[in-house]
This record gives sequence, structure tokens and C-alpha cells, in this order.
Amino acid sequence: MTRRLLLLGSAFLLIALGLAWGLEARHPEPVALTPSLTGYVEYCITCHADLPVISPSHPVETFGCVLCHGGERLALEADLAHSSMRGGGNPSALDVVEESCGGETCHGGTADDERDHIQRVQTSIQVTYTGAITSLRYTFGAQPDLLPFYGVSAVTDTSLPSHTGILQLLAFDPAMESSPALQAFGQNCLTCHIGGLPAAGEQYQRLSGCVACHSPASGEQQVHTLTTSLSYTQCNACHNRGNYDLRSMTFVERSDQAQTRLQEYYQPIAQFTRCEYTLDCVDCHTRTEAMGDGDLHASKADSQYIQCQTCHGTPSALPLTRTLSDPDDIAFRLAFLTPVVDLQLGDTILITEQGEPLWNTLVLPDGTYQLVGKATRQFFSFRPVLGSDCTQTGLDQSSASCHACHAMDR
Amino acid sequence: MRPNFFHHLHPPTIPAKQARWRYTLGAGGTAIFLCLVLVVTGALEMFYYVPTPAEAALSIQTLSYLVPFGGLIRNLHFWAAQLLVVVSAVHLARVVFTGAYAPPRRFNYLLGLALFVFVLLLDFTGYILRWDTGIQWALVVGVNLVHSIPWAGETLHRMLVGGAQPGSATLLRFYAWHIFGLMLPALIATAWHAFRLRRDGGIAVPPPRQRHTPERISRFELVRREAAAVLFASAALLLLALLSPAPSAAPISDITALTGEVRAPWFFLWVQQMLQWGSPFFWGVLVPLLVLALLALLPYALPLPVSGELGRWFPRSNRAAQILLAVLALVVLVLTLLALRPPA
Amino acid sequence: MDRLSRRDFLKLLRQVLLALSAALGLGMLARFFSRQEATSRPTEFDLGPASAYPVGSRTILPEVPAVLLHTPEGFTALSLVCTHLGCTLEENQDGFNCPCHGSRFGEDGSLRGGPATRGLDTLRLEQKDDRLLLYTD
Repeated sequence: MTRRLLLLGSAFLLIALGLAWGLEARHPEPVALTPSLTGYVEYCITCHADLPVISPSHPVETFGCVLCHGGERLALEADLAHSSMRGGGNPSALDVVEESCGGETCHGGTADDERDHIQRVQTSIQVTYTGAITSLRYTFGAQPDLLPFYGVSAVTDTSLPSHTGILQLLAFDPAMESSPALQAFGQNCLTCHIGGLPAAGEQYQRLSGCVACHSPASGEQQVHTLTTSLSYTQCNACHNRGNYDLRSMTFVERSDQAQTRLQEYYQPIAQFTRCEYTLDCVDCHTRTEAMGDGDLHASKADSQYIQCQTCHGTPSALPLTRTLSDPDDIAFRLAFLTPVVDLQLGDTILITEQGEPLWNTLVLPDGTYQLVGKATRQFFSFRPVLGSDCTQTGLDQSSASCHACHAMDR
Repeated sequence: MRPNFFHHLHPPTIPAKQARWRYTLGAGGTAIFLCLVLVVTGALEMFYYVPTPAEAALSIQTLSYLVPFGGLIRNLHFWAAQLLVVVSAVHLARVVFTGAYAPPRRFNYLLGLALFVFVLLLDFTGYILRWDTGIQWALVVGVNLVHSIPWAGETLHRMLVGGAQPGSATLLRFYAWHIFGLMLPALIATAWHAFRLRRDGGIAVPPPRQRHTPERISRFELVRREAAAVLFASAALLLLALLSPAPSAAPISDITALTGEVRAPWFFLWVQQMLQWGSPFFWGVLVPLLVLALLALLPYALPLPVSGELGRWFPRSNRAAQILLAVLALVVLVLTLLALRPPA
Repeated sequence: MDRLSRRDFLKLLRQVLLALSAALGLGMLARFFSRQEATSRPTEFDLGPASAYPVGSRTILPEVPAVLLHTPEGFTALSLVCTHLGCTLEENQDGFNCPCHGSRFGEDGSLRGGPATRGLDTLRLEQKDDRLLLYTD
């Protein structure tokens, strides 16, 4: 009896050992990657080999995965490997962006070498949402004036001096508000800032943080890509989606079924000229408008300043230009990052009233201007208003003034 | 055949009735087998484990995922350790419920209790060596419990931690305890326990005139049975290790930031439950020591089984001892289950 | 061949199964020990602009360790790791010698004496733009 048990036991042991060998053979061969920036080997691509390279500026041989995402670089089991990842799948979420994308040589540096992206974004109006919060508090009697006190999160302007004089914002807390309208606002309307996420089931989905703009969405999913070629569809994840109803404090999504770019770009109530829908938002709106200039602003009206005259001039003045004579000019770095045009030393480009280079424009020798779309790569040529048949005086620079003649039919 | 080393470890014959599985459950023997597995797999792990706070959890990840069969060795070590606690408890229960602690076996019973304590301490020190967020709570509470002991507490705490806060000195000391400081006395106690077993007459049996059958089995048959048990146990342990991996968590980055699950290792959950009720020294040190004291006094303070009733389960003469053990076991079990409830 | 009794057959079968288990176990052990840690020593060295090493120059590179020779025929890099048992060579008047067991090598890396049995290894050199790159792998 015992001898039979011995035989059976030997058989079982052999089977178990065989099973051990078999399971070991089925393990995927670990694929090592030692990024040059960290020097520590990581094995993420054992499972994630088919993930596309995120951008030409972030090659995986240099950065690896863990430098941005966190995570356990040696683990080959999903739960453990992902357990210490920053921001879940999105390391650019604003609560972890400093760790993931920051650092002096990356995107958390100083304004002098133009590496202060994180600080600028965190103080920008698209993140603080100060204008909306302030005007609503004023409207519903929670404050007597339109002075900005609150943002979505508490934030301090660390890059002094400040041109706006606003040194800090406190965190808006709907629970502390006595007006039911403001509480409803806090519940329903705070998804429209870069730190927030749209509610599930909404027509436009996006992630928060840097990738809200810089990572193109493909249907429901955001793609593992970082780009500066932002099509208008990126901006329409928040903009042109619909309207607020202040009485019911709800957001009413636009209900039209857009088929073409012309129809999709703006809501049916909007007025726009041809260039405002043929070009993408980023072809005109500058870096400081979208990402902030490092100072806290009270409202969008305060920070947005691009007008038709910036590119077209007025009936009495040409638009501002700059001839690129310094090889370290920021215009060259921007043109390099979004390679749609070959900018050379000696080229003359248009600049904004605040001196920001519109590096995708060019002043041609014959006095006309050229613009290339950053996302569409289309070339456009246009003329200044000076010397044209424009009947405006140029004193009224609101968009309605130009739309009076140039607005498109939908 | 000529008896070899393993044959000579056993008496020439033993009574057949008490040699059956359903009498001893093979618990003691299985415990020794698990100890052997632990020593071998532990030694193998030493080729890859690095006992520094920066490297410990990472070296375990290397072992688990990047070393061929490293994960298997680690899982074997983990499961052998947890099963050893269970099997030791079963062995203790068997000894009490069969009255096998009666003189001259009382000192051996105490040796066995000491071994049980060593097993728990070895399990705990090994648990700490993971140095990841899953063990953080246990480490902090464990060393602070030691601190709560009056008079000697601070000295003991300093000896255990090796510094102001749990850090690299603590890890190194726990490593030294686990590999050597506890292993050596446990080894000596095991050898002594086995020796006393032989000297006290082997498996507890009734006196010859009161035995129901005179049948005996030879040492050869005994070793064969043990070999069969080893083969089955190995296969079962391998299957367990292959199908259910040992737990892992992210490395500790900051010893003061308590992330991760707030739970004691499973064999101390009953203590964690009691610690919710008041003084850490009373509930965390005194009460467990009281349980140990009760178990130690069992063969001395309670009625002993009569020799005629030995060799079978649940003799009537030492009922009080059986009830005491059952009550203690039940209490520990209930406390453990209470501790497992999700927090309110 | 005598016919095996049933008992002997089963005994043989048992021994075969155990032997196979032992083989699998030993195999596992061998693979367990086979893991190699990634090397931390760099294998690529940027020597700087080629113009820094004029013709006729002989530059010791202690961090590799190697010696860079620039002859009229071009650049050569010789490893200064002794081909005997791996100690780092020392420079002397007419070449190199090893402090460990006394091997001697000429200026061109050829073997002059000692327990070593072959001359110095040549290391791969590449020129990228104007920079010289030395590889030890």
C-alpha cells in the first residue's frame, strides 16, 4: 500500500515540476530598456511594446516610461507594476504634473529659458476658472464686486513681479456658499477647467492636465501622443459645446448634428469669418493666451488679446513684425517643435502686441503675408487692411466690427 | 536492506495503530518538512535579496519576475511559511486532544510551544523583509508595541530598531534575526524536540497491556510512509506556489507616510483586533503572553490523561485541557474574523 | 532478459520518476542561478574631437583603460587590460607591463614576455562628425 503511494507521490511530484517548467516557459521574455536619462533598467515594454512613441521630443530610449509615469519598473505583473503610477494612466493630471513633467530642465523651469510651462498653466485662466467663478459669485450676491478671490484650486503666483497684481487665489468651495445657485454651479459646472474631467456620457471626452490639449482624442480614447499640432477638435472638447442656463444652472449641450468642419467648428449661434473656421485655434491664439503668462488673471477678457488687427493691421497701420536676427529667438524653437515651415534667420514674421512671435506667418517681399496652418499644413496668403477697400475706421476693434462685413453664412 | 541514516532516526518499530494518519495527522512530520523547504528556498533567495531599504522591495521584484523560477522559489517560501503556522497549530491541537503531553512528555511540550513562538517570530521578521507599503503598518506597530513594555521597553525598542526611526538599521537587524538570530535557537530547539520525542518513547501510546492490537510497523515502513508524505506534500506545495503568488506591493518610499493596506499579517490579526480595545501593552503584549502562559501551564495545572486512554483522540480524563485549548483557539479565531471585517 | 516481477517494475518506475524529478529540479536550480545583472560599466567612450590627438601622439585613457595611438596610417586603440588575468597595465619605457604577474607588451601592443599568451586587444573606434568614439564591447 505504502509502495503504491510512493509511486503515486513520485508521479504527482513529477507532474508538478513539469507544470512549473511549462508555466515558466510561457512567461514572456522580459524586454529591458535602460533610458539614458535615468540609467535604471525598466521592463514596461515587455507588455507595452506596441505603444506608439509619444512624440519626437520624448524618445523612449532617452526617457523610458517610468520617468514620466512612475510605476514599478521591474515588475512584470500588471497590478504591482501599475500600483505606484502617477495619476493613474495620466501623469499630466495637475495634482501630479510637477513630479511627472516638471524639473528645471524639463517643463518646470524658469521663465527666462521659457521652461516654465507648468507654473504658467497652473496660474492660467483655463485652470483657475476665476472669471466664471468671480462673475457668478458677484451675480448671486456672494461678493460685492468683480475682484478675483477664488479659483478651482488654491494657487499662488510664484513668478513675481505680477503684472496683474493678483498674488493668490483661494479654493472655491461650493459647500461654503449660501446661495443655492452657487452650490448648483459647483456641482454642475466645474468640469470646464483643465484639472476637471467631463462627466461620463458627454459628447466630448478628454483627460485632464497637459494632455487635455496636447494629446489628440480618437473617439472615446485619448491616444498615447503628445503634439503641438492641435486641431480645433482639441479645443472643442471644452469650447463650442453648448451654453449655460444660469436660471437652472445647467449646461445645455448643442444639439445640432454637424457634418462638415464649417458646421462643427462653432455653435449655430456664433458669428465667424472664413479664417476663423479654416484655420485652427492655435494658428492665431498664442501660447500665453492658452497656457497663461505666469500671472494670475481675473478673467478671460484679461488674458485673451488676439484680434483681427494682430495679423491684418488696421486701415491706418500695418501689423507688427519682427525680422529674426537672433538664432536663439523663441520663434525658431517653436517652429522646430511644430515642423510645418522652414524658418530661417533673416525671415520677417508677424508678432503680437505683446511681442509674441506668430512664427507660422511670413512677410513676403511683395508686402503680402503668408500663414501656414500648424495642424492642417495648408498655406494661406493674405493682405493687410491698409490700402484695401475696408470701410471701417479701425477704432472699433471688437470682432463684431469685422464680422459686420466678413461673417460667413453657415 | 541495511538501515540508512533516515531509518536510524526512527525507532526499530512503532505500534501500528498510532502510526496511522488519522491518529497523528502527520502534522509534526509535515512541520519538519516545511521547515526544510523554508531553509532551502530561503537560502536560494539569499542569492538575490538585498537587505537595504532602497533595494529590498526591488530585489524581491527582480527575484519574482526576472530570475528564472525566482517567483516559484519565493512563492514556495511564502506558502511553506504560512502553512507551517497552520500545521504547527494543528500539531499542538492534536497533541492536546490526544493527551500526548503527559509526563514524561511535558518538557517536550514546552519545547514545542517555544518552537511555535519561533515560527511566528520568523514569519513576522520575514514579512518585514519585504519592506514595501503592505508591511509598513505592521512594522511601525510592531516596534511600538515593544516600546510599550514598561521598564525594558525602550531598551528592547532600541535593540530592535537600531536607530530613532525604522530604517536601514532596522531592516538589517530583522534580516539578521530572520536568517540567523531566530534560526539558530529554532534549529537547536527542533533537534532537541526530535531527540526528546525519541527519548520519551516516540508517539504517545497506551501501556502494552492496554493496547487493543499488538501490531507494529517497522522503521522501514515508517520511513516509506514519511517519504510518500513528503512527495505528496511537495507536489501540493508546488501547485499552491504555481497557482497563487506571494503578495507584493510598491516599495516604501517614506517610512512615515502610511500608504497601503492597514492590516497586520494574518496570524496577528487577533492581536490587531484586541488593540482596538485599549492599552497597547495590555492587549498587545500581556494578553498574548497570557495565552502563551495558559498553554504552557496546561500540562502542569490541569488534570492529566490516564495512561490507558493515551493513543487515541479525545480521552475523557484530560477533558479540561481539551476544553481550554478549544476555547483559546475559538477566541483567536473569532478575533481574527472580527479583524477581517471591512472598516465601517 | 529475466522478466521483471511486478514489484520490481513498479520500483523501477518509481526510481525513474524520482530521477526525472531530480533532473527537473536540478535544471531549475541551474536556471535560477543563471541570471546576469546588467553591467554598470559604460561600453562607449566619447574621446572628444579627433583634432585633439595629433599624428604621432600616444594618449593613455585611464577610464577605459586603453591607449590611443595616432600613426600616419590612422587611429588605433589598444586595450590596457592584461590578456593574462585582467589587471590594468602600467606604462614603462618601451611599452607596458603588468604589475600582477609580470607580463610585458610592446608599444604596439605585441607580446614581449610573461605568463600572458597573446598581445593586447584592439578596440573599435568610430568617428562621428568630428568626435572620436571608443567602444569596449
